[in-house]
Amino acid sequence: METNVKSACETCGLYNKAGLKKLGIHTDNFDFVVALAGNPNTGKSTVFNALTGLKQHTGNWPGKTVTRAEGGFEYNTQKYKLVDLPGTYSLLSTSEDEETARDFILFGKPDVTVIVADANRLERNLNLVLQILEITDKAVLCLNLMDEAERNKVDIDIRTLSRDLGIPVVPTSARFNRGIPELIQTISEIASGKIVCKPHRIKNVPKNIEKAVKTLTENIEKEFPNIPNSRWIAFRLLEGDKQIINALRTGEFI
Amino acid sequence: MKDNNIDHIIELSNELRWQIGDEFHDNLTESIYADAAEIVKDSVKTQDGEKRFRLDAKIDKIVTSKTWGFPIMFLILGTVLWLTIVGANYPSSLLASLLLDTVHPILRSGADSVQMPWWLSGFLIDGVYLAVAWVIAVMLPPMAIFFPMFTLLEDFGYLPRVAFNLDSLFNKSGAHGKQALTMSMGFGCNAAGVVATRIIDSPRERLIAIITNNFSLCNGRWPTQILIATIFIGAVVPKSLSSFASLLAVIGIAVLGMAFMFGVSWALSKTVLRGEVSTFNLELPPYRPPRFWKTIYTSLIDRTAIVLWRAIVFAAPAGAVIWLISNIHVGGDETIAAWLINGMDGFGFLLGLNGVILLAYIVAIPANEIVIPTILMLTVMVTGIGGGAGAGVMFELDSINATGDILKAGGWTLLTAINLMLFSLLHNPCSTTIYTIYKETNSVKWTTVASVMPVILGFVVTFLVAQIWRLIF
Amino acid sequence: METYSPIFALVIFFIAVALLYVLFRPVKGWFWIIKKAFHTNEKVIIEDVLKQLYHFETSKNKVDMKTLVQVLDFKHADIVEAIKKMTINDLIYSESDVLKLTEEGRDYALRIVRVHRLWERYLADKTGIHKKEWHDRAESMEHRLSHDEAEELAAHLGHPKFDPHGDPIPTKTGKMASVHGVELPLLPIGSVGKITHIEDEPEVIYKQILAEHIYMGSMLKVIENNATRIVFESEGEVFKLAPIVAANLTVALIEKEVVLEDNVARLSSLKINETAKILGISRENRGESRRRLLDLGFVKGSSVSIDLLNPLGNPNAYLIKGTSIALRKDQASKILIKKD
Ligand SMILES: Nc1nc2c(ncn2[C@@H]2O[C@H](COP(=O)(O)OP(=O)(O)OP(=O)(O)O)[C@@H](O)[C@H]2O)c(=O)[nH]1
Ligand SMILES: [Mg+2]
Repeated sequence: METNVKSACETCGLYNKAGLKKLGIHTDNFDFVVALAGNPNTGKSTVFNALTGLKQHTGNWPGKTVTRAEGGFEYNTQKYKLVDLPGTYSLLSTSEDEETARDFILFGKPDVTVIVADANRLERNLNLVLQILEITDKAVLCLNLMDEAERNKVDIDIRTLSRDLGIPVVPTSARFNRGIPELIQTISEIASGKIVCKPHRIKNVPKNIEKAVKTLTENIEKEFPNIPNSRWIAFRLLEGDKQIINALRTGEFI
Repeated sequence: MKDNNIDHIIELSNELRWQIGDEFHDNLTESIYADAAEIVKDSVKTQDGEKRFRLDAKIDKIVTSKTWGFPIMFLILGTVLWLTIVGANYPSSLLASLLLDTVHPILRSGADSVQMPWWLSGFLIDGVYLAVAWVIAVMLPPMAIFFPMFTLLEDFGYLPRVAFNLDSLFNKSGAHGKQALTMSMGFGCNAAGVVATRIIDSPRERLIAIITNNFSLCNGRWPTQILIATIFIGAVVPKSLSSFASLLAVIGIAVLGMAFMFGVSWALSKTVLRGEVSTFNLELPPYRPPRFWKTIYTSLIDRTAIVLWRAIVFAAPAGAVIWLISNIHVGGDETIAAWLINGMDGFGFLLGLNGVILLAYIVAIPANEIVIPTILMLTVMVTGIGGGAGAGVMFELDSINATGDILKAGGWTLLTAINLMLFSLLHNPCSTTIYTIYKETNSVKWTTVASVMPVILGFVVTFLVAQIWRLIF
Repeated sequence: METYSPIFALVIFFIAVALLYVLFRPVKGWFWIIKKAFHTNEKVIIEDVLKQLYHFETSKNKVDMKTLVQVLDFKHADIVEAIKKMTINDLIYSESDVLKLTEEGRDYALRIVRVHRLWERYLADKTGIHKKEWHDRAESMEHRLSHDEAEELAAHLGHPKFDPHGDPIPTKTGKMASVHGVELPLLPIGSVGKITHIEDEPEVIYKQILAEHIYMGSMLKVIENNATRIVFESEGEVFKLAPIVAANLTVALIEKEVVLEDNVARLSSLKINETAKILGISRENRGESRRRLLDLGFVKGSSVSIDLLNPLGNPNAYLIKGTSIALRKDQASKILIKKD
């Protein structure tokens, strides 16, 4: 438990083992939707299986999962619907193979987004993590494959990482069920609002772009005062993303 | 007006886009990576820089080396097939004798004792039950060996290396390197292979991968290949070499399938699916020691059970159809089956096959697994020799020799056997795959192409082989 | 069955195959030729006439019936017929033999040009179709897209202002951005600029430029400029062009002091055991594939080395940000590096 570090929360409850029930494919009457996002081959499906008791196919190559899968678990009498997504490198592209995942992260309105990252390749995984953090502030980083990281002598300071990212970071080895209890506990605390995240926002943006983004953001916020991710929408508008434009018209963004 | 404001925002964004220029995406990604680098510098300490794991690098050097890369690939394919062929033999005949020789008579006498009408018991027990039993006996053992071995390779991380080694060939035929992965999936099940093509991000290459997936010999077709190769090919060489010869024949067919896949991909990308090869990028994951027992357990319980279940669901109605067409009479006293067989015999002869085989393939569209028992049953019916269990009753003879005898009595030669193996490789995909292709492409046109093109190829190839064979011998 | 012999069967088979080949072989098959003849309708002729007139007008040339018949690939009678119709419909008028566009005709022509260039942009950004084919495909597509579809397409592409050759795309209301820059032969030695336009006609010269691998948006530096040849450096390679070829390139001078990196090389030239820093991705690599490369970590400043050589020579795997990623040679050649 000593690795279970929360950024914004000092009053975390302890994991209640008896409170967990794997519900398999039964996902009716759920209280929260939890999305599993992350780069390909980082262990999303393995985490999914560990949480739901299902047997979603896993395999050691990027692109094993190509359709989204749903499963459920119950923790402390709250029911969660868990959605396993295909791996994505980025939300900035419009490539077809990543469409399923991108759509769900952007428009599926998950209550909690669990970002599964490979601890051995954190830098490249952060590309997606930082993008997701522009979109939602209800996220947790599941730092998976910790066993391999230990073997490769990669040493990660969880507390600093969590502080820099502004979200809870839970180290796991999903294949061996290590860290899964902590993950469940963190998910439940984010879902119930016990943990409030202050996610990192992309900083090193060139001046001219930052200026354009600011202009757009102000305009968007004038129109939609309570929107949490106006900056992301501005980024996407500058890219000319049709989906976002449509979503803006219909008002169905996150 | 709300709409006006939104339009204004969009107009504004269009305007701003041209001010900041076309480097926007590059700049944004660079900023994100710059942030990432800062964060990583704060919190991650690595011992040996960016070097990849030593052992991984060593394995990779060998499996992608100029000298060893391809031999290792064929060796692995050969070993997997060898274990499947040899290992499935015994449990297969055990299951056959249990389900067909023991359970079937019991069911029959049970039906008699409750005085079930002959047509109902015939329909259920000789039609549906036998089809299902056959599928279990023939498919379960090879699948139970093939799938776990395949999954072990997959978990180890070998598949992406195959894609890496083969990409150059795919590139030359205008296809995508990841097609190697979907092709491998197709060796298990074509429907699964078709779904897996979603990893290919360019639509043109994805379509090529979907259309050509059928050239991967799937699990429903391996048993046919193995059985025919054992009876006919194994018989032409000395006994000590016979199992080796039949293994070679089966591998030959599998490799021929790959050759067709490359050829057809090439032809498609030169004609109807013209276009330049687009990009290819493949992440080579680290090797991971698979968890042996868990893998075997899950692939047995999940994969095997699911594919088997599907086969059974399709085999049952097919069994019923077989029973019906060989028991319903048209006109005089010819059954529908006999009538169809006679009608197709001429065409079948041109292809070096016969009417029986063609009819069997039509009946077996739902599940390729039941081709052989259908052929046997129909052959017995046509030749009128004893050995079967009655009109429309599918069966498997426990001894391979007896099966061979029946086929030879039906006029089979080495040519028939070779062409059946070729036709089993080159014919329409099973109905599940066709449906999957439709779901994935959403196009009747491409579904039709993917379904009809292999049959036409099959006709052409068997026709040519038959004519040349007859000229030579 | 009595007449059967393998030879006889084979002969019939090959005759059938030959027949099918003659009918359906790509492009030259009779079936396609007949189909095409069937499809050249009046609309296509009218639109092509309008477009030609527009191009003549913008290049300040006068055109009469005779020249028009020469440049267009239709039957003489059909063109005459079409021109008659167009005059009646007030799309064109003639002034002492010279054909001119009316206001309405110009609008129509601009719409066609817009669709043509949008479609080229689409082919360039969203498909893998080779550059050589863009023009012909756009030629046929420009007659088929309706106004709404063109708008849809423009929105889908993010309202681009230029086509992939650098020609401006007319907006919905017929406005056009202007191309910055001058023809390459006019630049003095030592000037640094960016290619803003590559003229795709005449085809011979365009093909030559493509064969040299000169790309839109690339930075270049003029090294030598005289009456016989123009030599410049771009993306780590030196190009030598005849002035007549070079005149098809428009280059915008870069005002600010930008340092053009020395020792630029392409990733495809990296050898095993060498390491390098990434400088950027060539402009030639656009759209989805560019984004994917960026997402995979091929961003400015990352260090890169060869991880694995392919047994068949292509693709090689590169080690970037801790992961091994395989790229085909043609992609690697569009990533610019500086060797350490
Ligand atoms: N050593 C180790 N291996 C793991 C761990 N978690 C997952 N794996 C392995 O990593 C590989 C990839 O796991 P998946 O769960 O299929 O990955 P994914 O993120 O769903 O991949 P895609 O569906 O392709 O995006 C599998 O071979 C897993 O067995 C872990 O904690 N430790
Ligand atoms: Mg997965």
